[in-house]
Amino acid sequence: MEQKIAVKVDDLTVAYNYKPVLWDIDLEIPEGVLMAIVGPNGAGKSTLIKSILGILNPIAGSVSIYDKPYKKQRQLVAYVPQKGSVDWDFPTTALDVVMMGTYGSLGWIKRPGQKQKKAALEALEKVGMLPFKNRQISQLSGGQQQRIFLARALVQNASIYFMDEPFQGVDATTEIAIINILKELRKAGKTVIVVHHDLQTVPEYFDWVTFLNVKKIATGPVKDIFNDDNLTKTYGINYKVSIQE
Amino acid sequence: MNSAQIEIQLIASLVAVACAIPGTFLVLRKMAMISDAISHSILPGIVVGFFITHDLNSPLLIVLAALTGIITVVLVEYIQKTGLVKEDTAIGLVFPALFSIGVIMIAKNANDVHLDVDAVLLGELAFAPFDRLIIAGTDVGPKALWIIGMILIITLTLLIAFFKELKVSTFDKGLATSLGFSPAIIHYGLMSVSSVTTVGAFDAVGAILVVALMIAPAAAAYLLTKNLKKMLVLSVVFGIFSAVFGYWVAHWLDASIAGSITTVLGLLFLAVYLFAPNKGIIAVLYREKQQQAEVSLITFLLHLKNHSEVEERHVNHLREHINWQKVRAKKVLDLAQKNNMIHIENDVVSLTEKGETFTSKAIDYIITNEDAQIEDMKDDFFLFRG
Repeated sequence: MEQKIAVKVDDLTVAYNYKPVLWDIDLEIPEGVLMAIVGPNGAGKSTLIKSILGILNPIAGSVSIYDKPYKKQRQLVAYVPQKGSVDWDFPTTALDVVMMGTYGSLGWIKRPGQKQKKAALEALEKVGMLPFKNRQISQLSGGQQQRIFLARALVQNASIYFMDEPFQGVDATTEIAIINILKELRKAGKTVIVVHHDLQTVPEYFDWVTFLNVKKIATGPVKDIFNDDNLTKTYGINYKVSIQE
Repeated sequence: MNSAQIEIQLIASLVAVACAIPGTFLVLRKMAMISDAISHSILPGIVVGFFITHDLNSPLLIVLAALTGIITVVLVEYIQKTGLVKEDTAIGLVFPALFSIGVIMIAKNANDVHLDVDAVLLGELAFAPFDRLIIAGTDVGPKALWIIGMILIITLTLLIAFFKELKVSTFDKGLATSLGFSPAIIHYGLMSVSSVTTVGAFDAVGAILVVALMIAPAAAAYLLTKNLKKMLVLSVVFGIFSAVFGYWVAHWLDASIAGSITTVLGLLFLAVYLFAPNKGIIAVLYREKQQQAEVSLITFLLHLKNHSEVEERHVNHLREHINWQKVRAKKVLDLAQKNNMIHIENDVVSLTEKGETFTSKAIDYIITNEDAQIEDMKDDFFLFRG
């Protein structure tokens, strides 16, 4: 059976001040994979995600989500930005942040009601943060803040999840909790795309991987392409990572 | 109170409310200085509008001034985007340029009319009741009251309609974009409201007080609450309080109303800054001192837990072993005893059951950094409140 393509990127080039940070990226992400995007700092990993989501404007190329432009498919996509991209001193509570995930389905002007609140509480429960629902977000630890972001994405009930370094600055317990939720999402047939830093955990956590360093180096199943050759091509130095079968 | 006094307080209060609403979002977006820039750079817009209409209360003035406000924001962003200068520098470059164009235009062409730099900077609230709005021969109140009233209604309508969008795009621009709420539209919407409010408040209170009314109430409210809606309400309350109280201060001192309101705002912020229950300076200092004592206490309890030898736990030896000064050692000993964590028998200190569990929990928390275990300790100890 031919596997459906969830995300398709064609000839994508993105530049900051006329300096390209992503060159001519072609990428097909099949439905139902749990994919890591790896590459050195400045490789354009976050830029790739942001361009797919329309947060950045590419200078060339196109992106489609299930064969349609992103703008028509917003409801299918959830996004977890880097934790550091927001001001955690903002006067709001954990529950309220999770509720923001429902704003997309509400559209302009309409306000969230009981239904949205219920969905948000369920998502908080899933990430083990229900006891902290009324906590001001600055009073949460780094791992807890990341879980709140994850809950906010879960509440969107999307088909495709994009996550920008969800494991950054979280403790081991939270990392395991998060990866378990991601694996559950995959089991439910969702597509999950994660910008990832820790090469050691790639074979354990993911089944699909994309190597990126301004250009796309390789993309495919972890067991086929996660090897020293691609790692060296991406990082420019000799990498040895043992892969558990 | 005569009717002119009531009218002045009413105008000042409405101006305060109209400023506090966009001001709250400016403070949260770390754009407080933009309000300063707008308040100055709308001057050329007002002057050009005045030349065309020869009426300081014409709606055209508001439109043109708001337009200059937006131009300011666009110029600042454009200069900043080149990456050659930072945002604060860009602001510092743009608004004096536009303001000075306005000043020169006034000096060249409007010397003989009621439009001078003093009025622009400080406004004159005291004269506001004299400029009446007459409809079909009936006096319906001061023009300034109607102008700011209309602006306030528009601001409130927009706030209620787009509260959710304002909140999400202020907190997380990336998420807002991915959800399909254009942060650019919200951003320029907020800038337009700020500009229009500034113009409306300008004639009554002047460019400097507008900035104070936008920023000070919101900054004070920010220190007092963890809830955006409450922050808005508090800003509004602080604004109205300062407007009314400031008016009476001016009345008693026979001084400028605008100046008195600004002074009250400054003092109000100072009071909150000092006495706010959680974020205030005094609360912070108190908390730090408490935390210091608690750290000492835990160190002491850990020492007791780790040493079963009697000589290590003798009251007099403690000082030498943990290497504390006499006063501090006594304080920690008292604190532990007060909390029933230790008991002293023949000058030998040992942990009580409560002390044992507390120490284990504290160690666990320090090692695992997991919050759930110490939820019940948060009420008693500052240290665990994060």
